[in-house]
Amino acid sequence: MGTLHPKNAAQKSSLLTAEHWLCMERARYYTEAHRETEGQHPSLRAARALSRVFEKMTVRIEPHELLVGNRSSRLIAPPIAPERGDFTFVFGHLMDELKAFGYRIDPADERLLTEELIPYWSGKTVRDAKIAAFKEHGLASQLNVSPREVRRKLQSFGVRSLVRLVVEEEDEGTALGVLARLPRLLRAVRAGAGDNLKGRGRCTDTQAHIVMGHKNVLAQGFSGIAEAARARRERAETGGDRAFLESVELSCEAMRAFSERFAAEARAQAEAAPDAERRGELLAIAETCSRVPWLPPRTFAEAVQAMWFTQNAAIISYGAGSGITPGRVDQLLFPYFEADVARGTLTREHAVRLLEELVIKLNNNVIIWPNIGGVRLNHLGSDVENITLGGVDANGDDATNELTSLFIEAVTNTNLATTASFRVSKKSPGDFVRQVVAIHRQTSSPAFLNDETTIAAMVRDGYTLEDARQYCLVGCVEPSGNGDTYGATGGSKIYFPTALDLVFNRGKTTFFGNQDGVDTGDPALFASFDDFLGAFYVQLESLVGWVTEATNLRDAIWAERFHNPLISSTIDGCIDNAKDMTAGGARYNFGAVGGGGLGTVIDSLAAIRAYVFDEKVTTMAELGEALATNFRGHEALRKRLLGGPRFGNDLPAVDDLARDLVARFCAMVSARKTACGGHYKASLISYGLNVHEGALEPATPDGRKAGEPLSNSMSPSNGAERRGPTAALNSLARIDHTHIGYGNSLNMRLPVGILKSDKGVESVAHLVRAYFDKGGFHVQFNSADSATLRAAQQRPDDYADLIVRVSGYSAYFTRLGRRIQDDIIGRTEFASCA
Amino acid sequence: MRVDEATACRVFDVQRFSIHDGPGIRTTVFLEGCPLRCGWCQNPEAFRNGEAKAMSPEAVVAEVLEDRDYYAVSGGGLTVSGGEPLLHQAPVRALLEEAKRHELHTCVQTSGAVPRANVAAVLGLVDLFQFDLKHMDPERHRGLTGARNERLHENAAFLIDQGASVQFRMPVLPGINDDDENLSQVARFLVGHGVRDLRLVPYHRLYLDKYAALGLEPALKRLEPASTDDLDRVLGRMARYDVTVAVDG
Repeated sequence: MGTLHPKNAAQKSSLLTAEHWLCMERARYYTEAHRETEGQHPSLRAARALSRVFEKMTVRIEPHELLVGNRSSRLIAPPIAPERGDFTFVFGHLMDELKAFGYRIDPADERLLTEELIPYWSGKTVRDAKIAAFKEHGLASQLNVSPREVRRKLQSFGVRSLVRLVVEEEDEGTALGVLARLPRLLRAVRAGAGDNLKGRGRCTDTQAHIVMGHKNVLAQGFSGIAEAARARRERAETGGDRAFLESVELSCEAMRAFSERFAAEARAQAEAAPDAERRGELLAIAETCSRVPWLPPRTFAEAVQAMWFTQNAAIISYGAGSGITPGRVDQLLFPYFEADVARGTLTREHAVRLLEELVIKLNNNVIIWPNIGGVRLNHLGSDVENITLGGVDANGDDATNELTSLFIEAVTNTNLATTASFRVSKKSPGDFVRQVVAIHRQTSSPAFLNDETTIAAMVRDGYTLEDARQYCLVGCVEPSGNGDTYGATGGSKIYFPTALDLVFNRGKTTFFGNQDGVDTGDPALFASFDDFLGAFYVQLESLVGWVTEATNLRDAIWAERFHNPLISSTIDGCIDNAKDMTAGGARYNFGAVGGGGLGTVIDSLAAIRAYVFDEKVTTMAELGEALATNFRGHEALRKRLLGGPRFGNDLPAVDDLARDLVARFCAMVSARKTACGGHYKASLISYGLNVHEGALEPATPDGRKAGEPLSNSMSPSNGAERRGPTAALNSLARIDHTHIGYGNSLNMRLPVGILKSDKGVESVAHLVRAYFDKGGFHVQFNSADSATLRAAQQRPDDYADLIVRVSGYSAYFTRLGRRIQDDIIGRTEFASCA
Repeated sequence: MRVDEATACRVFDVQRFSIHDGPGIRTTVFLEGCPLRCGWCQNPEAFRNGEAKAMSPEAVVAEVLEDRDYYAVSGGGLTVSGGEPLLHQAPVRALLEEAKRHELHTCVQTSGAVPRANVAAVLGLVDLFQFDLKHMDPERHRGLTGARNERLHENAAFLIDQGASVQFRMPVLPGINDDDENLSQVARFLVGHGVRDLRLVPYHRLYLDKYAALGLEPALKRLEPASTDDLDRVLGRMARYDVTVAVDG
């Protein structure tokens, strides 16, 4: 691998040192136009609002940029979409917390926000309408208890969990200050509870999580898209159809005008350029921006600019935190690369420079999470723009190309927390997996996706084989169609441990205390494990019912009020159907329901089976009492439970519980229809939120205490893996992954130092291959660095699965003596400097 | 299930996903019992006698087969280690036979400190021997391990003569066996047998906790781990004799 181009190194450094700002430009201009379009068709309102934003927002070209297109008036300031309600909720309740964690806001902007924007949108946002609809349909959390009672319940879960509600785990030190503001936070928790479904479940304000139709923009340019909309409008039958198509034309024109503003800015900067080289670059930018994305690109440089500019504009249009995905970038850009190289007008070095810059820009996306349960700050790249690389083409042939390698190089050189998904098929070149594993040596972990499993899952869900083969990864690891799907792959979620809680409390949750679920009878009277399991599935079915009903209510609000003709214009089907993507215009439509805490619940079920019914060392009554008191006075029982059989150890009897649960959950989810006529697809992904997800979850029969994290995604519980990576993969592979349409993720901790040797890298590649041969969908590795090892010294329980392995010798890190642990940390640090 | 005493394998550990004990991804089965007492032994559990779990060869291989998919992809298989795995002839032979019934690739890690018959008994069942050269001087060898090395070297020669596939390994013990004299002798020994490569196993101290847990006193407790410089020096010396060196992590 090479080193980052100096101009890109400067851009990276600016990004890493930039302040985080809250910029109101997107919010202000969108609102301004929205006020003027009262009563118009929602597509037209959106197009006009967007046009206003593109016309008025600040246009910035940074000193070293070759690719242009900024999000807001500051280098780091996520575009804010007040109409969604998630931003206004956070600003209304948590501005002090945002500031405490480093966000800055201009005083004039803050006045505008509090005096104008929040009051104007109050009652009009998706969030407000959603919460009203949940109430009307009896789906809202009835948190009818006093703040004092909420506080009492939260405190019974322990201070750590309270802190986790507000901040990331690693920020706990800073977070202690947050406790001083506890009463205010509790009010926010209470207000935020409107977001929670009764019982426990989540249905966020946003949908999105969509793969952009960059393929259409590159092929036709927005001029071609506008032309198609115009032609379609001539045979439109209804006023609504005409309004949507007109909104597409307006959006395309807005893109042209927006791009022209950058051309003008580049020309202006060229006048005052510090040197001839920069002047030349700026004039080239001007020329490129005058052409793309309005007209189709002719060169690689134009194609990268067209794609980035469109991607950025889409994010502005939807607001941050929307999971808008570029897709198969190595496939989209390859024809331009190939042609330029053949013509002799592009060097490999220059291509890498452009890709590095693209990767840096993708990492600029920062999330402001709408929910108090997940305020994540200062996390570059946290609003994920996942890039998909490798895999097969529409014909099923290997599609990896030279750009795939150049992207690997760019991601490695950039060394930021880039989210990159690598599609692996049986036809991938022999060296491909090894090459990707080697990325871990220098930068954060890439994801591996199995083409055979994913394509089978997509076909099962209704894609044609050709379309399925073009899948891209959205958000974390959710497979979706290539610019042909309204996916909404994230946002709605239930937690498996909630179903346990409902069984133990006969339809009530410990936290909210209302009779929200079904009364499945007195658990003390269950005669067999099957009785318990039967009750568990009854509760699970009701959770799936609530979350899908709630999601349909939310989706109806978007369809009725908040369109996005810009993104829709790029998605296959919307123009033909003359419908916005939110209203079912896309060729494929699906919804998502995530399931959280699989490892926690499987370990719990296995413990109940083993200790209540098989060995009879405890009773349902005693266990229920232990859970209700968070194991106070039941320490011996808790110890026993913690030593129980665990998912992730290649134990067929335990793994079969997971296989059955996943199959049944996926079937429950797939049977539900979305507002747009498609069906729901299941996922088992934590979005990195499993720490927060556990914060409101009471104690569980696996010995986990109230408020502690749930297991993440489809991974075994932290520290549960005691038989190494192959045993864990065997456990996971007993589950049929083709049922899990929106994906699952397995985050695996690698033995310490394994990547130092070529044999280690090769062996990890072999792990991936073998797991995929067995039907696994996704795997991602954490290679333990010295920071991880230090964390393991501090919290040994969470890292009990961390292996140290050298020839003929193997040990669990946390069981070694302190001196030897320090020795290993020293070695790891040495290696990372080398 | 009753385990036949004659072929019972005394297994003190099964380590899946072993990647430094032969080709590919392997499962290493550690058998109890050893005639040597190397001061740096990282598996002192092997010094005990009859305390480890008695498992039938079938049961051991069944566990090993749980990872057969990983062997298939990586060219890995079963590694039998110890202790000295060839110490008890009948169990190890039965174990390797069972492995071969399932077409597993087999590797045996041995010091050679066993009767010729024990080596001969497994000859056709082992795809790869990993043979340790601890020190070339017979008296120094005895001081370090409790036994002279002549018989060990004869067993090595026997394996080579019989056409077995043998990889020689050397533990790198700084200041003990990495002096130029010993290294030269190792190289001459290899070259003399037509062998042109050597695997190094750098000394580490990760195992010291095990001694405390077993109530034993490690002989080399003050020895520093082999450093990159130590390894480079070995590499340089071997290069003079045209012997290629690889490091087992």
